[in-house]
Amino acid sequence: MSASCHPDVGHCITCSDEGIPMRVLRLDADRGLALCEDPAGAHSSVEIALIDSPGAGDMLLVHAGTALTRLEAASA
Amino acid sequence: MKFVDEFRDPELGRTLANEILLAVEPGRHYKIMEVCGGHTHSIYKYGIDDLLPANVELVHGPGCPVCVIPMGRVDDAIAMAHQPGVIFTCFGDMMRVPGSHGTLTDASAEGADIRMVYSPLDALRIARQNPDRAVVFFAIGFETTAPSTALTLKRAKAEGIENFFCFCNHVTIVPPLRALLESPDLRLDGFVGPGHVSTVVGARPLEFIPADYGKPVVVSGFEPVDILQSVLMILQQLTQGRCEVENQYKRVVPYEGNLAALKVMSEVFELRPHFEWRGLGFISHSGLKLSEAYADFDAELRYTIPNVRIADPKACQCGEVLKGVIKPFECKVFGTACTPERPIGTCMVSSEGACAAYYNYGRFAREREVV
Repeated sequence: MSASCHPDVGHCITCSDEGIPMRVLRLDADRGLALCEDPAGAHSSVEIALIDSPGAGDMLLVHAGTALTRLEAASA
Repeated sequence: MKFVDEFRDPELGRTLANEILLAVEPGRHYKIMEVCGGHTHSIYKYGIDDLLPANVELVHGPGCPVCVIPMGRVDDAIAMAHQPGVIFTCFGDMMRVPGSHGTLTDASAEGADIRMVYSPLDALRIARQNPDRAVVFFAIGFETTAPSTALTLKRAKAEGIENFFCFCNHVTIVPPLRALLESPDLRLDGFVGPGHVSTVVGARPLEFIPADYGKPVVVSGFEPVDILQSVLMILQQLTQGRCEVENQYKRVVPYEGNLAALKVMSEVFELRPHFEWRGLGFISHSGLKLSEAYADFDAELRYTIPNVRIADPKACQCGEVLKGVIKPFECKVFGTACTPERPIGTCMVSSEGACAAYYNYGRFAREREVV
């Protein structure tokens, strides 16, 4: 595993084909982006065009910098 | 962490393992393919295969986006990276995938301007910051990453950015699954279906597997409890004589997928007549290229590339691993000439690759078994 491996998620995210659960911190509606925090506390801008009305505090599943879905209450 | 911890509960895992034990028919051997590299990674990280009865065998599928890129496409990428004035951008793992004459990392050492990015948006940012340079993004991945590339290209077009180009190697999951099911050397009983790909395409495109081939599919999450529950659901289908697509990952996967993602993909991409997959050969309608409306962003139209098919090294058995025909440790060069530090084949590069997963989490246990 490389140094870029994610300590909490436990997956190497360098190929970016990992779904990372990220929390929305702030919306940038003009640019269609959201500032999000990953489980390790790192912040990045996330494309939110594919999600209906995300809001601060929402958990999103992010692939390659794009949110694919909103994570709802867990159920196995 | 919410959405993760509850799916790593050891007690729940043990309960599911016991239920699996009760669900199997003695004397019957079950061969279940996990489609995604992410599943493979989790299986060996958490030792899920050790919790399964000996007659339930998990085999690895073709769902690692790095692993399926053939050597010829890496050579094409390196040729683009060496073009004057080009900034070549790619995900980190792709930098270590060998072409016929080295890797993108080697090309970088030779002077090519190659930069690792975490998303296509990062590549577009580099293009904005370097208007006098041509920025090429090496786009790889299944339907999980394709929407990201599509949205980035839409953004580039809307902003009128003229120095951003895409070397498109996106692939789709259904054609290789159909090719595997047609393969005479592989007998499968069911599939742990792709989780995040299904977030985009939905579970409906997988319905051909039970309908045409009579195999159960359970779309699965990636945590240990997810995978164990999915294996149990497949075994229950087999025991009860059912055969259908079930969705274990309902907390993330809507059965119809993400319609907005499908729309933007259909706008930006179109299917190639055929695309070469490492180990699987050419598969019809399995790869994406930029549509006519986005031709100005197509790096393959801008640059002359070798576009030559390169055979894998003779010692490398990635093809058999990707088809689930052999286990990684059965490859002649596994763990000796081919390691994550010095990979020969793609399956040893990405953490989602079956060989890397075995090497990182399972190799030593296997060696003990052999002794």
